[in-house]
Amino acid sequence: MHRTWKQRIAVRACTWLAISALFVWALRWSEFSLGNLLESGPRFGEFFSRLVPPDWSVTQAVVTSTVETLMIALAGTGIAVLVALPLGFMAASNVSPSWLAQPIKWLLGAMRAVPLIVVAMLFVSAVGLGPFPGMLALAFHSIGMLGKFYAEEFETAEPGILNAVSGTGATWGQTLRYGLFPQSVPQVVAFTVYRLEMNFRDAAVLGLVGAGGVGYYIVLYVRGFQYERVAVLVMVIIAVVTLLDGLTFWVRRKVH
Amino acid sequence: MSVSDRSGQPVIELEDVHVVLGSNLALDIEALEICAGERVFVLGHSGSGKTTLSRLIKGRTRPSTGRVTVLGHDPAAPESRRRHRRRVAMIDQEYHLVPRLSVAENVLHGCLGRVSPWTSLLGWYPAAEHAKAGAILEEVELAGMENRRVETLSGGQRQRTAIARALMQDADVILADEPVSALDPELAEDALELMVECVARRNVTLLVNLHQPDLAARFASRFIGLANGKLVYDGPPSGFTERDAELVYRGKPSEKPTGDSRQDDRLAQDLEAADRRPGLHLVGD
Repeated sequence: MHRTWKQRIAVRACTWLAISALFVWALRWSEFSLGNLLESGPRFGEFFSRLVPPDWSVTQAVVTSTVETLMIALAGTGIAVLVALPLGFMAASNVSPSWLAQPIKWLLGAMRAVPLIVVAMLFVSAVGLGPFPGMLALAFHSIGMLGKFYAEEFETAEPGILNAVSGTGATWGQTLRYGLFPQSVPQVVAFTVYRLEMNFRDAAVLGLVGAGGVGYYIVLYVRGFQYERVAVLVMVIIAVVTLLDGLTFWVRRKVH
Repeated sequence: MSVSDRSGQPVIELEDVHVVLGSNLALDIEALEICAGERVFVLGHSGSGKTTLSRLIKGRTRPSTGRVTVLGHDPAAPESRRRHRRRVAMIDQEYHLVPRLSVAENVLHGCLGRVSPWTSLLGWYPAAEHAKAGAILEEVELAGMENRRVETLSGGQRQRTAIARALMQDADVILADEPVSALDPELAEDALELMVECVARRNVTLLVNLHQPDLAARFASRFIGLANGKLVYDGPPSGFTERDAELVYRGKPSEKPTGDSRQDDRLAQDLEAADRRPGLHLVGD
């Protein structure tokens, strides 16, 4: 399939035209308006001016609930890893038969497709308010994400090494443990800590539906126009995200 | 070292074996018998069927027709596959060690077939296996390197780690497919010598695919020459004449003839496709 240079330029032009048209269409649908944005300038300014001075009296409550959010994220990610690892092996087409790998891939896809907030609402109505349904929702959603990623990572494993390890008379489990897994560890660890970081941010909004953590205060203070308190909220959340960011960077550098 | 020793029991027997890979007849052997303790060097250019022969013996490839018997069993029989793999060790061209793991861990993989399948998953091996791995590492002159990651080793050190893993298996047959092709000529000779010495101490049957006849002659008790999948020489290295070499290499002048590269490529692709077929190697173990 060789195209002439004229055809190539035409194809490229059409592609860019189509992408641009889609983008413009999306902007219109979103009721994008530069005028409105410029007119809102003073309101943004007022919002920022009301952030200071922060109301430090709420620090303890905010920090406690942020720690709860962090714990929801840690527990949810931990459960997700425990479930996603075996599912990832089962969904990896190089080590699992397709009658098993394909359905598991569909299952993981379906789990990813349900928005987190919907999952959280379902769990809240099932097990009641509090951090527990939040953690379950995060775990559920993360299994879909991590399982897919693990499977794709396992599929890149060098087949010669798998053959070499199974060639010693190793069982299927031993071959996965010693031939497959060591090859994938750096990527698996890097993606897992990245997922933890994302889960913390996701967990921060779980409180909107009564699923525990700092989200409760976000609703309370923002809806109540208590911007001096929102300031404390934002600072604490930024501090934790920055810490997590540093942690993921450190872990990724250490595990290679 | 070139004294033929065929007094042992037959370990590998091929009868009327045809292997068709894709559209190629990769191997066509009427009869071949290899006995315990022999040191067989298989000569031939790439694509001649050497790799297919070792894959047959390892049980990775099934004959299209005919019968292969190794240590009294069909090597590809699913019910005895794991036991068979344990008894036939393989050192291949790229070694295929796990790069991120240490030398000791890679060597310990050799005992996976005989230790508990459950406790070994936790990284626990019996003390006797650790001691055995240590002794083998000393034997292949890698003492003190136990904790080095394989990815930090030189080519020669990796090659010796691969030998150590194969020895750790306590196999009855060791197959080596172009085990020194990645090494410099002097290193290659030392590595072959080390491998043959280690094997001789254990009275294991050795089958080495090699493309350099003069190097093979130093260590072999028997030569097998393959050309286009057919047996064209089978006898002692001393009887391997210029004419036989010409038959094996089809009159190609160099030591490592390239052969019909298009056919080689196709064959390599077929082999690779067989390796990558989903679930082929692990499912059903």
